[in-house]
Amino acid sequence: MNNAKNAACLGVALLALSALAPAGALAQEYRNSTEHFEALKRQHKGGTKMTADRLPDWTGIWTRAPGIGLKFDPAQPSLQQTTAQLTPEFAQRHKEKLERVAKGIEWDPISSCIPPGYPRWLTEPFLREFVLRPEQTLLINEMVNDIRRVYTDGRGHTPEEDAYPLWNGDSIGFWDGDSLVVHTTQLMSGQYQRSQPDYTDQVETVERWRKVDDNVIEADVTIYDPPALVKSWHVVQRYSRVTTPGLRIRSWVCEENANNEVFQTKEGATQHVLPGPGAGPIVKNKVEK
Amino acid sequence: MTLQSIMTMTVAASFLMYLATPAGAHHSGAMFEPEKTITIKGVVKEFEYTNPHSWLWVTVTNEDKTTTDWGFEAEGPSTLFRNGIKRSDLKPGDVVTVTGRPLRDGRPGAAWVKAVKEDGRVLQPRVAPVTTAPAAATPAVPASAAR
Repeated sequence: MNNAKNAACLGVALLALSALAPAGALAQEYRNSTEHFEALKRQHKGGTKMTADRLPDWTGIWTRAPGIGLKFDPAQPSLQQTTAQLTPEFAQRHKEKLERVAKGIEWDPISSCIPPGYPRWLTEPFLREFVLRPEQTLLINEMVNDIRRVYTDGRGHTPEEDAYPLWNGDSIGFWDGDSLVVHTTQLMSGQYQRSQPDYTDQVETVERWRKVDDNVIEADVTIYDPPALVKSWHVVQRYSRVTTPGLRIRSWVCEENANNEVFQTKEGATQHVLPGPGAGPIVKNKVEK
Repeated sequence: MTLQSIMTMTVAASFLMYLATPAGAHHSGAMFEPEKTITIKGVVKEFEYTNPHSWLWVTVTNEDKTTTDWGFEAEGPSTLFRNGIKRSDLKPGDVVTVTGRPLRDGRPGAAWVKAVKEDGRVLQPRVAPVTTAPAAATPAVPASAAR
């Protein structure tokens, strides 16, 4: 009798713990991001029916927590030591990338002013803002006015026949109380950050966003990318409130100053064009004289 | 007053922590010397308060009386603002002593570490804590200490 009672208590305790666990911290391993997201959605019975008056307050200006630099996983001991379990091919690519960087040879694709793309988006510095509505959430990064739209109105992903690669992917989600659970697919290949591993166009993620306290918003992220990752990669990203008086998020135009134009050398390194003071905006379609 | 350029190459270990990612906005910082710094004194020609990087242009009078425009790169306006640096803080004609990590190829450009105005105010573009107000202007620094 006592054993049965204890077992029942244990079961209730485990159930309670699993409900509290973040998206990526569950002991269970899922085969892919869809299985993971659907399991969470079932677990939370489709999610909390959200109304404007029940939305959490994420107002303010935020930025990636200080001291992390370019590390994709803040838990990494250094920029050189990724916590991802990379496939042999992608581990070799990462090793070669770091060897080039050590020689000063590095080229970042966003140097030509293209967006960073997601999941790299998680690590970009600068200011962030989160706009919450019952039917969708806008996750905004100041850099190149970069917006992720997360639909929470119950729609599914774009059908395969209508899908095409997207910088920030196709994101749907649901609310679990004050936490936003997000599933993102249809992404482009890229790198997690400079000196960090690469990801393929098969990369998909499950995120759980929540406000930890008045000054911290946290994103618990699980990444799936079979060609590059031996197993899913779980990272926790934190964003801190910025309280600088008078600070506002402004339009962020990458081409407004030609002194920021860089080119890739024959060796693959980055070099400034550096036309000098008063150069004006970058002009890509120059008129022939 | 005739301006003299002060050009010193020094290993500045104390700067390395916040210089680890000097070009975080949109390009690698590998074109800058990783450990050396250069300090010049000159007159502000232009302060380009722009994204993804800002540029402080300083005209330096060389020993042979020729002039060179030096460019110092920092992040964009919002990062500068958080570090207490406004566009109006550096006007054409202002005398400044600027320290930066020079371009490896020897051209007159550098990653901006700090600028010291004649009144001693120190402008450092990459030191502000995140959740507090920007650092107030630091006390006057003797010219000799700016190297």
